Amino acid sequence: MLNSCDDRESVMDDDLLSTQAGTSQTAASPQLRPNNDLSIQPKKNTILVSHGRPPWYSEDGTRISDAFVVAVAGGSASGKTHVARQIVRSLGSIPTVIILSQDSFYRRKSPEEVELAHKNLVDFDHPDAIDMPLFASCLADLKAGKQTNIPVYSFAEHQRLDETKYLYGASVIITEGILALHDPALRQLYDLKVFVQCDSDLMLARRIQRDTKERGRSVDGILDQYLRYVKPAYDNFVRPSASHADIIVPGSNNHVAIDLICTHIRRQLAERSNRFRQKMAIPHQYLSPGDVTPPDVENLDLIVLPQSRQLKGIFTILRSKSSSRQDFIFFMDRLSTLLTEYALQQLPHRPKTVMTLTEVESHGQELDAEYVCGISILRSGGALERGFRRVMNNIPVGSLLVQSDGKTGEPLLFQVMLPVGIRERHTAEKAWVFLLDAQIGTGAAAFMAIRVLLDHGVRQDHIVFITCLVARSGGVSVLRRAFPAVRIVCGEVDDHMREGWLEGFKAEGNPEGDGRMVWVMQPGMGQIGDRYYL
Amino acid sequence: MSPQAPSTQTSPSTVPPSVFTLPQTAQLEALYTIIRDKDTSRGDFLFYSDRIIRLLVEEGLNHLPVLPKTVETPTGATYEGVGFEGKICGVSILRAGEAMEAGLREVCRSVRIGKILIQRDEETAQPKLFYSKFPQDIASRYVLLLDPMLATGGSAMKAVEVLMDHGVPEERIIFINLIASPEGLRTFCGKYPALRVITGWIDQGLNEKAYIIPGLGDFGERRHVLSIAHFGSYLPFSMVRYCA
Repeated sequence: MLNSCDDRESVMDDDLLSTQAGTSQTAASPQLRPNNDLSIQPKKNTILVSHGRPPWYSEDGTRISDAFVVAVAGGSASGKTHVARQIVRSLGSIPTVIILSQDSFYRRKSPEEVELAHKNLVDFDHPDAIDMPLFASCLADLKAGKQTNIPVYSFAEHQRLDETKYLYGASVIITEGILALHDPALRQLYDLKVFVQCDSDLMLARRIQRDTKERGRSVDGILDQYLRYVKPAYDNFVRPSASHADIIVPGSNNHVAIDLICTHIRRQLAERSNRFRQKMAIPHQYLSPGDVTPPDVENLDLIVLPQSRQLKGIFTILRSKSSSRQDFIFFMDRLSTLLTEYALQQLPHRPKTVMTLTEVESHGQELDAEYVCGISILRSGGALERGFRRVMNNIPVGSLLVQSDGKTGEPLLFQVMLPVGIRERHTAEKAWVFLLDAQIGTGAAAFMAIRVLLDHGVRQDHIVFITCLVARSGGVSVLRRAFPAVRIVCGEVDDHMREGWLEGFKAEGNPEGDGRMVWVMQPGMGQIGDRYYL
Repeated sequence: MSPQAPSTQTSPSTVPPSVFTLPQTAQLEALYTIIRDKDTSRGDFLFYSDRIIRLLVEEGLNHLPVLPKTVETPTGATYEGVGFEGKICGVSILRAGEAMEAGLREVCRSVRIGKILIQRDEETAQPKLFYSKFPQDIASRYVLLLDPMLATGGSAMKAVEVLMDHGVPEERIIFINLIASPEGLRTFCGKYPALRVITGWIDQGLNEKAYIIPGLGDFGERRHVLSIAHFGSYLPFSMVRYCA
């Protein structure tokens, strides 16, 4: 999963996602499954991931570009899904693509309507069948880099289900549906509008073929529905919307058209990234080996654990390369417990009076926070989880998998598993989040994790970052400038960062050619994830 | 944790200089509020008292000596650190002190733990030693003496007396305590000024039955579910035996 092969694609199964969206407390999004044969399931609302998402924000912490939105409209059975898949396939190594289907946005129905729908007496092809405002607001959120929770529509029950499906983090969004170009509010959001043109008789033929084979319906029923709803809707709403399209694509044998579209998208994306490359928050652009005047600890506004004898002793064991793995784990757990206890002091409290068993009133305090959760930045943030759990035993803990690209050193977001309270914007806005990572060196992973939380609506001053070590000459000053309200709680502060080879690659110049340059903290603790887990 | 932070709750006019309290943060106060609340479930009582005990032990350990120690880090740099000095052991005053052992072991892995049982002699009304079992070499160790509630200080003073009889110098004893009464602290520290007391909270005082006010009730009973009032939905087998 961590392999960043450029042309490898993983497919997120949408069934998996939707079952988890609403229920469990620390609901997890699905694993990104590597899929070597490049076959893309023709599923609706699919997230496709190839090699991790590079930074989508600049050094000052702000998002630098919207997602690129392509709309694919056309008659029923005209080949829209095919065109969408072709586009995804030929785009190749685009980080994340979300295919958003109009079908998800059918309106909630009354019991009477559900009954009619089961008798095929509901016009699903009319624009009124679709919740256009919701469609537009979900798309607008996704385009602006926010999370969204789209409705789930069941064709079996002919009803919108109570669960929703959480989507976040696409750089390209493809919306498809017969009426994708119909609504003006939706059209405003598109960067590229495609209409798939197909002869009516061909569409009808395909429809009969598909519905008899896949849905077991009778030809009579299909023709009845076609004449009653499909054809009028096509003539009145679908075909006229073609006038809004930038490109009209034939429904079959359309390689040239697909090629044109992809070339256009690639050029658009390249233009954006060129425009922003200088501003991107990539470590090697803000760190240099000759950085001789690291900022003072005071100016970094860090919350450092009181420097006690025991703390110094704990760090001595953790930093020593000759400490046993057993010792490393034990003292890591002790340190993370202390860090979490200290970090908890950042949460607000309010007065509370209780009655004791001696039947006396006691005036004390209680936590004044509605929703608190933890999120560890994997892998090394996981090393803090045991201590965190000792202090906060019953709160959800999510995770983010951020790894740095072997060639460029830029951080890549591989997986987002957020607690349910963060997936929903209205709870995220009130939540307090503890972010866990073993150290802040380049700060790249921390930067990305904080940005993910802000995208979800978490308040900056409600984020408490818990970490063992911070290098004051590292990326922490960039982090501070970008997110001044985030609180950073750490155990000790190191002075330097230097360039080095990843452990295990000793040779100067590294003849194997496989190792990569990394920034290491001095004196540091080594690779904390390796020492804790391997 | 800074050892000098004063207690804010009752601020008795004179806290003996050998007494160290945890920093009196809102968060710590919230922990105490939970364990004081008579409606707190046993599970929460265990969890939140353990959190305080861990902080107390961490604070107590800061009074142990360390020696400079230089180590090499995996990145090839050197780090001027410290190494822990001196052997330690725990001694819990039965039964309530036993409840602090789990917290102690979470911070000091596989530490040896002695036990001491002191009860009130019905004839003399004085605390009397009923039982003690210590590591053989206790005289050469630093002793973390565990008792969650310091009310009059009677049994704590008796315990120190027993430890000193076994050759442990007064200044090598660190008393670890959740809630203390000002009276108890004055008596205890008056008698043993060289002994260090780490306490989480200094309460208002004692009532006529010598219970700490506001206190939290009987710590041992709440931990071990001894009294009927705190029976949960099930009773562990070992507890049944205790009750019998």
